[in-house]
Amino acid sequence: MNRALAALLILVTLAAATVALSQSLNISLLSSKGPQQPIAFSHKIHAGKLGMDCLYCHYGADKSTIANIPPVSVCMGCHKLASTDRPEVKKLIGYWERGETPPWVEVYRLPDHVKFNHKRHVKAGVECQKCHGKAEEMDVLSQASSLKMGWCLSCHRQQLDDKNFPATMDCVSCHH
Amino acid sequence: MSESVVLQRREFLKLLGLGVAGAATGCATPPADRLIPYLVAPNDTLPGVPYWYASTCRECSAGCGVLVKQREGRVIKLEGNPEHPVSRGGLCARGHASLQGLYDPDRLKSPMMKDASGAWKAVSWDEALKLTGEKLGVARGKLALVTDNATGSLHKLAAGWAAAAGGTHLVYEPFAYESLREANRRTFGQAVVPHFDFARARYVLSLGADFLETFGSPVAQARGFAAMRSGAADGVFVAVGPRLSLTGANADEWIAIRPGGEMALALGMARVILTEGLGAASGDRGALLDLVSAYTPETVAEQTDVPAETVKRLARAFAGARPSLAVAGGIAAQSERSVAMLAAVNLLNVVAGNIGETVRFDRILNVDAVGSFAEVQQLIGTMGDGRIDALVVHGANPVYAVPAWAGFAAAMDKVIFKVALATTLDETAERCDLVLPVTHALETAGDAQTARGVYSMVQPGMQKLPMFDARPVGDALIAMAKAGGFGGQYPAAWSDYLAAEWRGLHQRFGGGRDFDTFWAETLRRGGLWEDAGALPVRWIGAPAFAAPELKGTGDLALVLYPSPALFDGRGANKPWLQELPDPTTKAVWGSWVEIHPETAGRIGVAMGDPVRIETEAGSVELPAYLYAGVRKDTIAVPLGQGHTAYGRYATGRGVNALNLLPPAQDDASGAVAYLCARAKASRGAKAMDLVRTQPHLHQADSEIAQVIPVTSLMATLTGSHGGEAGHGAEAAHGAPGSMMLHPMQSRPGRYTEPLERSPGAKNPAHAVSAYEPHEVVRGPRQVPVSEGSYAHAQHRWAMAIDLNSCTGCSSCVVACSAENNIPTVGPEMIKRGREMHWIRIERFEEKVGDPGANDVRFVPMMCQHCSDAPCETVCPVYATYHNPEGLNAQVYNRCVGTRYCSNNCPYKVRAFNFFDYAAPEKETFAFPEPLNWQLNPDVTVRSKGVMEKCTMCVQRILEGKGNAKDEGRAVRDGEIQTACQQSCPTQAIVFGDLLDPESNVSKLSHGDRRYWVLGELNTRPGVTYLKKIQRESA
Repeated sequence: MNRALAALLILVTLAAATVALSQSLNISLLSSKGPQQPIAFSHKIHAGKLGMDCLYCHYGADKSTIANIPPVSVCMGCHKLASTDRPEVKKLIGYWERGETPPWVEVYRLPDHVKFNHKRHVKAGVECQKCHGKAEEMDVLSQASSLKMGWCLSCHRQQLDDKNFPATMDCVSCHH
Repeated sequence: MSESVVLQRREFLKLLGLGVAGAATGCATPPADRLIPYLVAPNDTLPGVPYWYASTCRECSAGCGVLVKQREGRVIKLEGNPEHPVSRGGLCARGHASLQGLYDPDRLKSPMMKDASGAWKAVSWDEALKLTGEKLGVARGKLALVTDNATGSLHKLAAGWAAAAGGTHLVYEPFAYESLREANRRTFGQAVVPHFDFARARYVLSLGADFLETFGSPVAQARGFAAMRSGAADGVFVAVGPRLSLTGANADEWIAIRPGGEMALALGMARVILTEGLGAASGDRGALLDLVSAYTPETVAEQTDVPAETVKRLARAFAGARPSLAVAGGIAAQSERSVAMLAAVNLLNVVAGNIGETVRFDRILNVDAVGSFAEVQQLIGTMGDGRIDALVVHGANPVYAVPAWAGFAAAMDKVIFKVALATTLDETAERCDLVLPVTHALETAGDAQTARGVYSMVQPGMQKLPMFDARPVGDALIAMAKAGGFGGQYPAAWSDYLAAEWRGLHQRFGGGRDFDTFWAETLRRGGLWEDAGALPVRWIGAPAFAAPELKGTGDLALVLYPSPALFDGRGANKPWLQELPDPTTKAVWGSWVEIHPETAGRIGVAMGDPVRIETEAGSVELPAYLYAGVRKDTIAVPLGQGHTAYGRYATGRGVNALNLLPPAQDDASGAVAYLCARAKASRGAKAMDLVRTQPHLHQADSEIAQVIPVTSLMATLTGSHGGEAGHGAEAAHGAPGSMMLHPMQSRPGRYTEPLERSPGAKNPAHAVSAYEPHEVVRGPRQVPVSEGSYAHAQHRWAMAIDLNSCTGCSSCVVACSAENNIPTVGPEMIKRGREMHWIRIERFEEKVGDPGANDVRFVPMMCQHCSDAPCETVCPVYATYHNPEGLNAQVYNRCVGTRYCSNNCPYKVRAFNFFDYAAPEKETFAFPEPLNWQLNPDVTVRSKGVMEKCTMCVQRILEGKGNAKDEGRAVRDGEIQTACQQSCPTQAIVFGDLLDPESNVSKLSHGDRRYWVLGELNTRPGVTYLKKIQRESA
């Protein structure tokens, strides 16, 4: 009886673990595709083909803790004239003319108890691609790194003795 | 195996949990968050970067300069403007809390009108203005406008508005300094409130004036007071009054005078000075002496209970220290004979030669337009007679603040049409027929002339909150005038009116700049200020001197005083102020009666028991606070509570003690007499709560709050190291210079001192560790700071707190709450000891009420950031640890809530989140919309089950370090300020880097007055206290 119960328990636990594992794999598979955005904006075209600087649109990344999502006016700076016949650009113009902003779906999300500072990393010479992957090759932006603490620290550990920008391992630098 | 496939035990458990949870919830994935960018980014605005706007605090008539911090379009904090001539960088608790007036969840959402049944129904602005126009048009000539002391352009608009409508304009402030103005008119020919220069005074005598809390310009006065007290040589402060207020608690001596005896004391002192020829040489000495000849020290003693010898001693000391300063106000200046009393104090200042020295008539407080109570009564009379058809109220709450006997509410009900231009539905607005929501000062453009020569800007820190359909009061007044047919002279918008006013100032102060440049520069500075020449004053003469008689039959004098946190009641809708422990009683969220322990014993009540107070006007029941700081024949009750409206935080807490006042007014100025009644006290019937955060006010032998007698300090300053214990440390460790090299390890504290205990003496009760004090000095740790794991540390952040400067005002407590997203938890939680403040002001009453010295000590207590922190060693999950820069850090996401750290903290400075104060769906939610708009995005909002505590504002440290890095330089001393330090009106708190031997904090931490709280526990804190200088008043 006891043996049967134990076996049952183990089975149930294993089943749950399998579900969990497959789920987490699914999620990661999904995220490699990236979420569907209100406008099918392509980083591949803008940052890759056209070679635009990341900081042209995300101009807050080297000045602020937050790398801003560009205001619609920045998009319209070019798209008043450029490619106005494309369906996705028309969507953008539609938003602009209605005075609305596209509700972009967040791809890189940090929990509230993590305070990440873009400016410090950009100023220390960390390339955008280091965390955000090769966005210039992505048609649909997807999460390129786990953003887990271990992943942050794997880089920080290597930079501890950097002459100009020694990385910190101090918890309160990010958790405060 | 590759790294990604290895499942660690922790991850396996997490996955297991996730799988089970996923199975239970049907595999729902959380909805993705949306990122909403700007449509068009405002110029020079970046998300994540704070912007600062210079403005003016509008919480009281003082008008301190503030800098408004804005993040992502939301105002999140106020700080004092260091360049403003009034406050010079400090800000009081009420000023900080004006944010919660802006984000009050009970603010009016739209115009509302009362229907026939008396219920409110929402209407549109157009409808409301149309109706107002009709009613005001009809009521022209029979119209009254009541406002607060707005000053500046808004006052001009209001006054002109009322005149154009053929009505009257009343500026109503409950504490209007009418008697002081009247006394100054009669004695000096100027009906003004002078500028009291505490910094220059060498001896201060306060007769009831609560100049550190509610009287005059408290922030500026506190700053001056601290400057006076910083010198070791002089700066004695004697407080006179029947009750020892927060201001009085800072005094070296308390003269517990009979209520109403202040006048006799002032005259008696003047007589001693004149007869002994001590004062300034004056031509009309004979005439002055005639005025006071009746007040011999012996007569004074009879009338005041102050011994004749004391009168003489005070007079001699007062005249001997030049310049000295006698300042009267507060309860003493609110009797039926207060003009006589204030004239007597003026006389005392005249004979001591203080006029123009410490009593100055240059930067005087602007209360010129504030109406006297006679004007209030006139309005009540005309309203009651039906001669007012329309009443418009803005910013004032007379239904609550005018004593019941005057009958404001009943008279107001006779007015046909009443409109309130209000932010919240307070008692006055609730009685109106129509309420129009107006914007808060923090979202409105305006100006204020709060003192002579100060033209201060009120700059909006943000756009007006979208959920409230409010308009600036200026716009509302203009629109009402136009609708009523008397607004032809006004421009379309308030902003145009304001700009037109400033064009006049531009002509005076423009200095060749065009208007736009002038305007932009003035906005950036927060206003413009000119040197204000002094008004001419000369002694004219004194009114008849007479002492007040109290009404009624009881055996106790009733003292009502404005609460330091809630002032006249306008602070009651702000949870920060409700939860701010009263500096005297440490009580929160209610009101109480202060009663002498002996009197309490006589009527059989203990601490917290209900007391029934009866005067001839009415009776209330209040919990007793037993306080040796009131006379045995006196009871004291704070004002500001007992609201019947004014939002969820104000309504139904405590009592409005104004109901106890019988009709009484000053016979010369007509001001309401708050000190006029005798009361009977007896044991009450219903049990009630007195919720306090500090249950006992005695430190026994724990030596938390230390003092140094001024004589010892003088001895150390002159080189002879006698007197003060604790100087053996330097001898034991060699020259002070060598200590600077290893500040983390070898800063001297009590633990390094040879203990000289007599044989058999016991350790202090709290020293229960294995550490046995013995005569051998415990050596510094073996590993110096320059080696080991913290060898690369660039900083050792530390704090020095000067107990000599701390007045106990508690501004830092509210500043900390604002900066660090600290929830208010309410009285029920606090009763169980679950308050969340990261900083508290501990009050220790060493000697209160006995004749002679007065000794109350205030200790700001926060995490001490110990080098050997007891909390760190007991955390099972390493959630609290020591960071390389000397901070004791707390990682919220790692904390599992064992609370071992709090148990092991000898300072009891850790706060535990027993409930989810940040979860909107929970009953305990502390930030109902839009209060949550105020939250600082740089600080995590903690969740349930997490321990938290002072971080020394690590987010500000990181910001400061980042700024320095950007500019390629080292952090400058003083560049990083903690929130408590920034707000402190007296600059008692200094933060900085101990590794920099030149930093201010290093110097102070190695100074003569340094000590560590509970230093014998060998925690070696990062917070060093500087002993309070104990002066002898005699």
